[in-house]
Amino acid sequence: MTWTRRAFAWTVLLGATAPAAFAQGAETQLYEAAKAEGQLTWYSGILDQPICDKVGQAFTAKYPGVRVNAIKTTSQVAFQRLTQDMKAGAVQSDVFTTTDASHMTFLERKGELTQYLPENARNLADPLRDFGSKGFYQVSWVGLVALVYNSSKVKPENAPKDWPDLADPKWKNAVTFGSPNFSGMVGVWTIAMEDKYGWDYFERLNKLNPLIGRSIDDAVTTLNSGERLVGTGNPATALRNAAKGNPLAVNYPTSGTLGVLSPTGILRKARSQNAAKLFMEFLTGPEYSRILAEHYEQPLRTDVPPPNGAKSLSDINLFVKPVDEIERKLPPNKEKWRDTFG
Amino acid sequence: MTGVPSRLAAGARPRRLGAFLRLDPSALAWMAVVAVLVFLVVSPLARLLASSFQSPETGAWTLANYVTAFGRMRNLEVLGTSLLYAGCVTVVAVGFAVPVAWAVARSDMPGKGMVRALILGAFITPPYLGAIGWILLAGPNAGWLNRAWMALTGASGGIVNVYSFAGLVFVTALYAFPYIFVFATDALDRVSTEMEEAATILGASSAQTTLRVTLPLVTPAILAGAIVVFLDTVALFGTPAIIALPARIRVMTLQLWQYFEYPVRAEVAAAYSLPLVGITVALFWAQRLILGRKGYVALTGKGGSRALTRLGPYRWVAFAYALLVIALAVLLPFAALGQAAFSTAWGQGFSLGNLTLQNFVRLATDANARDTIGHSFTFAAATGCLAVLLAVVAGYVVTRRLMPGGFLLGILCMTPLVIPGIVLAIGFYATYSTPPIALYGTAAILILAFTTRFLPIAYVNAVAGLRTLNPEMEEAVRILGGSRTRAVSRVVVPLLKKSLIGSWLLVFIPAVRELSTALFLVGPNTRVISVMMLDLSENGSFETLAALGFVLLTVTIAIVLLGYRLVGRDFMLRRS
Repeated sequence: MTWTRRAFAWTVLLGATAPAAFAQGAETQLYEAAKAEGQLTWYSGILDQPICDKVGQAFTAKYPGVRVNAIKTTSQVAFQRLTQDMKAGAVQSDVFTTTDASHMTFLERKGELTQYLPENARNLADPLRDFGSKGFYQVSWVGLVALVYNSSKVKPENAPKDWPDLADPKWKNAVTFGSPNFSGMVGVWTIAMEDKYGWDYFERLNKLNPLIGRSIDDAVTTLNSGERLVGTGNPATALRNAAKGNPLAVNYPTSGTLGVLSPTGILRKARSQNAAKLFMEFLTGPEYSRILAEHYEQPLRTDVPPPNGAKSLSDINLFVKPVDEIERKLPPNKEKWRDTFG
Repeated sequence: MTGVPSRLAAGARPRRLGAFLRLDPSALAWMAVVAVLVFLVVSPLARLLASSFQSPETGAWTLANYVTAFGRMRNLEVLGTSLLYAGCVTVVAVGFAVPVAWAVARSDMPGKGMVRALILGAFITPPYLGAIGWILLAGPNAGWLNRAWMALTGASGGIVNVYSFAGLVFVTALYAFPYIFVFATDALDRVSTEMEEAATILGASSAQTTLRVTLPLVTPAILAGAIVVFLDTVALFGTPAIIALPARIRVMTLQLWQYFEYPVRAEVAAAYSLPLVGITVALFWAQRLILGRKGYVALTGKGGSRALTRLGPYRWVAFAYALLVIALAVLLPFAALGQAAFSTAWGQGFSLGNLTLQNFVRLATDANARDTIGHSFTFAAATGCLAVLLAVVAGYVVTRRLMPGGFLLGILCMTPLVIPGIVLAIGFYATYSTPPIALYGTAAILILAFTTRFLPIAYVNAVAGLRTLNPEMEEAVRILGGSRTRAVSRVVVPLLKKSLIGSWLLVFIPAVRELSTALFLVGPNTRVISVMMLDLSENGSFETLAALGFVLLTVTIAIVLLGYRLVGRDFMLRRS
């Protein structure tokens, strides 16, 4: 009896972890090499410093002897630092995560990235897996763009359900969103909306006298203050605030939620190549996704449940935009944005 | 008796032989400080200047970056808007600062200590937080003031809209006027009553005396404060990002940000901002023109005295105006922010069930947050000391013409302020993180960068103070055989003590909230408050952010009150 139960437990446990963990031998080998390097430095443009520290600590707990120096700044600053470091011939960071995917394609073109396809990347959610299939970078954060509204002033049945509802004349003086000139996520949103509905979508929005903030999250602050009622925002920020009791709610648009993918890459001239590869395995593995979910961020793997109130990536009709399309369309869209919104 | 003249002669001869042949040790010290200063300011700027003339791809010399930056009408218009914005802010800030400064320094207005402390408290409010406070107050739809107005009058719309050019100017001025306030109060504290009494004897009313004697005497200080406000506003990003952007007003710093988004063109950003140094030079030139050859010496060796103007019932008018300014800058916005700082969920509005101290408890119990707050205050304190030291030396060298090229040294001390932080930060990172001074990750790199960035404030105040000192007092020390160092440490510094503390505060406070350079230079163990605030704002923890704002306000007020207590009683104030 006891024996069967234990055997059953083992079977379940192994069954659950087998696809998650990568080949034992390769991991041990990588870990030994990483231990010799002892540490790695991670320039992060995502999350915040305390969460980045937590990720680093979880990594060290799993791989004792390999320390992580996590340095969180904005993606623009991290990239500037990186560029300065490369100019000075002293690359300080081993791993770099940015919300602006074009930073990665730039580094890839310059031959500054190490090609490494993590074993764990096989278990990322579908659209995320394709993003890094060449092995120069992997998705480490998904910023979702969805519809957010002030739930104390707007009833759920009246709230916008899909993108076109936002441009309904009834939201005159009540809409808010960010600017593509300051937020990469909003930039990708302009590309996605133009593809779906034409630029006319923004002309119609402009007639509603929208309040245009800087980042995608400015909208959440504005909605929470009651200054505006509906807008586009990141569900993670909205739900984190709603969990505290703030009057915010999220609608995942019926025709599809936009995902903006933030990649991580290994710098070719960095010192700790092996530790960096091991860290890439960690960022694509289940532990990291669990940390994300704990902080109301979207987990990258479908085998990790989403945070309270949020939906799984497989249930939101997720669509993403390829990097080359973003690079091509963003600059003209910023110009068009200025022409439309002044 | 005969020893004195012979000693004088002996002391004078080597100087006549030529200062360059036998430098006394104090001269060497001056030169060393000036060299440090040149290094701190010149090397980051030189790197920026070089990059602005280089192609990022090939490294070849080119003018292309300047063509990109200034070749478009739109960019020039934006620059024009920025200058107009800075000009308006300066005028409004003078209007806030000068009357209150006069009332605090020269009249018998009640509640002076509180007014002074709260104004400096306003100053530490990060622009981001102050702007949000004002959005909560004057947002056209949900702002408190507008809702109150609508409730009182039954009007369908509000009366104030923060999202306008006027709103932008007003909110910016509220957090910039303390510069002028501190400069002006320090100068007013030094004006002796003798000249005012002379005017009264000649039949002038006390209003005439104030307008035609007292205020003209402190013009250098007011101008200095105005210049700092102007330059600081040109380079300001925080308030425009929150208010100008939704108001669809385009200023230079917002345009500059574009060069850091894809496609990244940091060289163009450098090209776009370096010509601002020209504005600094122009302002200096204008200042020279205004001040002309008039004398502003207020402190001589004769031990002046000062009596307060008795305002009678008007002192309550003065108090009401001071209270209005404080209410606009601190009381109202912090009441709005308090709603967030003391609630579990700020979007719910005020209710007993929503009240909590949890946000403060979280800050106090989180070891990371405690360290971060500690870093900010210690780094900023060190920055204050270093900047004041460098500024006094540089200001002394310039005003007493101890070295050729003083005007250039002055310009040099002033340039870091007008270069937007994000651009300057690249120069700092390039200079301080690479050999020979590979300081990345240390506290020193932050202190050095903050010192360079805020040196202009300390410098301007030091020069304004030195102008009011009659050089005869230092000459007396020299005649009696004392060195320059002695003249400065025993005469100049004690006389300017209060002014130096003012300078220290004016560097300390912005250094606590400085973000753009900090973001570039913090390492894992040197995080500062501003970077933590950015994190909090980005993940939407507005309640904790507001609580942190309250902590900053309280600590600063405590430091200010303590600082002025340490300076002791005003030695010129004669009770009559």
